[in-house]
Amino acid sequence: MTKRKMFLRMITASLLRRRSRMLIALLSIGIGATILSGLVTIYYDVPRQMGAQFRSYGANMILLPKDGTVLTPDTLQKTLALLPEEELVGATPYRYVRLDMTRRQQSFTSAGTDFSQVVKTSPYFSVEGEYPQHAREILVGKEIADTIGVKAGSSMQLTYKPTVAVSENAADDWVPLATVRGSAEGWNTSLVAVTATLDSEARIASITIDASSQTEEYGGRTQTDEAFQNQFIGKKLPLTLGEDVDALSGATVTSTAIVNALNHARSVSQAAVATERTGYYTVTGVLVTGGEEESYVFMSLEDMEALTGESRLDVAELSVSANAAQLEEYVQALTDADTGVTPRLVKRVTRSETAVLGKLQALVFLVTAVVLLLTMICVSTTMMAVVSERRREIGLRKALGASDNSIRAEFLGEGMFLGALGGVMGSVLGFVFAQVVSINVFGSSITFQPLLLPVTVIVSMAIAAVSCLLPIKRAVAIDPALVLKGE
Amino acid sequence: MLFRMIRGVLFHQKGKMLLIAFTIALGASLATGMLNVMLDVGDKVSQELKTYGANITVKPKDSSLLSDIYDVGDGEEMNAAYLKEDELGKLKTIFWAFNIVDFTPFLDTQVTLPSGDTVKMVGTWFNHHLDLPTGESLDAGVVSMRSWWDVTSGKWLDEKDENFLSEIMVGTLVAQQQGWQVGDTVKLTAARGEKDVTVAGIFDAGGDEDGQIFATLDLVQALTDRENKVASIEVSALTTPDNDLARRAARNPLALSSRDYETWYCTAYVSAICYQIQEAITGSVANAVRQVAESEGAILDKTQLLMILITALSLIGSALGISNLVTASVMERAQEIGLLKAIGARDHSITGVVMTEILITALVGSVAGYFMGFGFAQLIGHSVFGSAVEMKPMVIPIVAALIALVTIAGSMPAIRMVLRLRPAEVLHGGH
Repeated sequence: MTKRKMFLRMITASLLRRRSRMLIALLSIGIGATILSGLVTIYYDVPRQMGAQFRSYGANMILLPKDGTVLTPDTLQKTLALLPEEELVGATPYRYVRLDMTRRQQSFTSAGTDFSQVVKTSPYFSVEGEYPQHAREILVGKEIADTIGVKAGSSMQLTYKPTVAVSENAADDWVPLATVRGSAEGWNTSLVAVTATLDSEARIASITIDASSQTEEYGGRTQTDEAFQNQFIGKKLPLTLGEDVDALSGATVTSTAIVNALNHARSVSQAAVATERTGYYTVTGVLVTGGEEESYVFMSLEDMEALTGESRLDVAELSVSANAAQLEEYVQALTDADTGVTPRLVKRVTRSETAVLGKLQALVFLVTAVVLLLTMICVSTTMMAVVSERRREIGLRKALGASDNSIRAEFLGEGMFLGALGGVMGSVLGFVFAQVVSINVFGSSITFQPLLLPVTVIVSMAIAAVSCLLPIKRAVAIDPALVLKGE
Repeated sequence: MLFRMIRGVLFHQKGKMLLIAFTIALGASLATGMLNVMLDVGDKVSQELKTYGANITVKPKDSSLLSDIYDVGDGEEMNAAYLKEDELGKLKTIFWAFNIVDFTPFLDTQVTLPSGDTVKMVGTWFNHHLDLPTGESLDAGVVSMRSWWDVTSGKWLDEKDENFLSEIMVGTLVAQQQGWQVGDTVKLTAARGEKDVTVAGIFDAGGDEDGQIFATLDLVQALTDRENKVASIEVSALTTPDNDLARRAARNPLALSSRDYETWYCTAYVSAICYQIQEAITGSVANAVRQVAESEGAILDKTQLLMILITALSLIGSALGISNLVTASVMERAQEIGLLKAIGARDHSITGVVMTEILITALVGSVAGYFMGFGFAQLIGHSVFGSAVEMKPMVIPIVAALIALVTIAGSMPAIRMVLRLRPAEVLHGGH
């Protein structure tokens, strides 16, 4: 029989023979390892899970159109693609317009939005009734509902009037806007822009021409030539070149472009006026938030588009599951990418979240540390008790001629074997515990951290070894005769 | 004789008994610390969540809609309703007065700046000192209720300064547009007066407020001739997360049965506090700001549940640890017990002696453990929340019962087992 075989046999034999004691030692290491792996798993998972809970405060980032540009759904999609998908809890587009309640002297701020996203970015919205699911269904803020007396199931008629100035006593078949703007291709396919103000009878009152793209000594003169410009004053759109106005000599192409630009501006304005639309809507629910949303009417983006004839957004609210530093990074990344939006953080939410989340993490950290420390000490005292009980055995071995080192090696080997076994047992139980906690508290499962298994096993073995060493050292140091005698 | 035997064990086997006492102390301290932290964590986290701002807004009953719905903006010309400033102290006299942490009134108006632009000016309290009818006093205002503001230059307006009445704080957007610096004196023209004021600070609020001017309530009242009038109040209150009863009550408190009503009224639900505020302040409507109230509830619930589960784990851990050690220590004394039996001791008297020894050790251990646990709880309280964890008296009986149960459960089966062995075998050393 080799030495190693003998060693193994002695360890297993002692473990088997002294079942009850070894069971106690194993149990105690197992408890320690369970607490270790369970708490560490929870500790690593808490920030993520709690962070998700904090998203119930709603949006922590908003996207605004850059100055002078329009936010379109396409721009929004492009921008969102730059954020990591798993951290984006929700992104809600909003388009705000003022709608009039037809036949009543009341108007409300109305928001076109995507309700499937509202639920994610504003989980605190409480709806008495239901969220709109179909076309032509709306959600009404509580304050409005109380004032005009509507509830879920009522119907409302809303009218959209473009906010541009509209003259009331129009003499023409179309209602002119106070100002029309347009542009058309002139010489060398460069654009010529024209702005004209109209009087109350849709006649041109003044005209400004921007022909800076044209050759200065030919088309460029249209900008300054008063005689040419004065031809337009008092005329009604549309105009025909050669009949209503004459081209500037030497600048026929540019003059044609100016007339075309004005005629095009007229048709666009007509379209704008024609977008004054009315729609019938069914109220599906009344929104209670305790905030200013209670004085808004909400409808789907599609309905809003149908009503206003425009596909544009005013703002998008984003709920991103990330800490303040990461959010700053995302803002920087979005600004650098320059997709036509200005990202801004909602300070009230990000600031507070960082503060509170930091405290919670510190709390779990300290608790974990204290529990681990105490449990580990507890484990080693139990191990010590179990080992010191075997002083007689140690004495006997010594008396039979075993060297101190072989005794140490045997007992340490036994302890570490128990440590490894307890560590594996504890890793599994700890994961089960962490899973139970996670499902009960946060309603989501956690992923197994493979790294934690070796760490738990090694820590358990180390603790077992350390707690064996002290009593062994004492037993070895004593005269075998004394130990055997039972002193 | 019993005492002598016990004394003998306690003093002669000092090392072993100390080890047991130490382990029990560790277990007891873990239980004490965790239970105290768990019981206090709700209050502590709730206190932290106050950084999100008010969770209740109070508005006058009749006029709250007008400016929003009709888009009239300026409220001065209308016969609008207001709350009374001198009634604000009443907030601290309601049943849940203790839970009202902070509050601040608001009154806004439009002012014309020297450049001809019109901006919204908000009158409020900054660190307003208030002497309450109850004899207490407190400082309330936006300094604590807008904790997320960055004062980018200058300082917070201080109501303890002498000339605070002619100072304003300006949002970054306004400061940029008007080119104002801290220390500039500007003339503000409002509906019923004008005044030269000094810019005391510029703040970055990261929201609408960046385009507004903030000044003391008194100044705005004077400029618009609305003495003692307040347009709205924001209240920050510690609340209990809503449950089914609270939701039913929020709809209509009077529809509850008298018993439910009592429970609801005497629990710090946000709806109950709102209801009591309405009772205290004439002509007011108090509403929960759901964004804050709801999220607070969710986070509090989760944190508490998390702590309960961690506490449960550590309780189970320390209970198993203690009973394990006690079992080991009894089994280790098999020889001694065998000897007692051999010289004719009866089973129950042996059990009595061993149990008394262990229980005395446990008592010493748990008293030491309680104070250690106290230390751990305070360590956690101070390093995490910066304030002491309140030591709940109810923890003492819980820990005592737990330790007693665990020690008895750990030692009794072991003693029984050892007693069943035949003395001769035990003494002989065979197992």
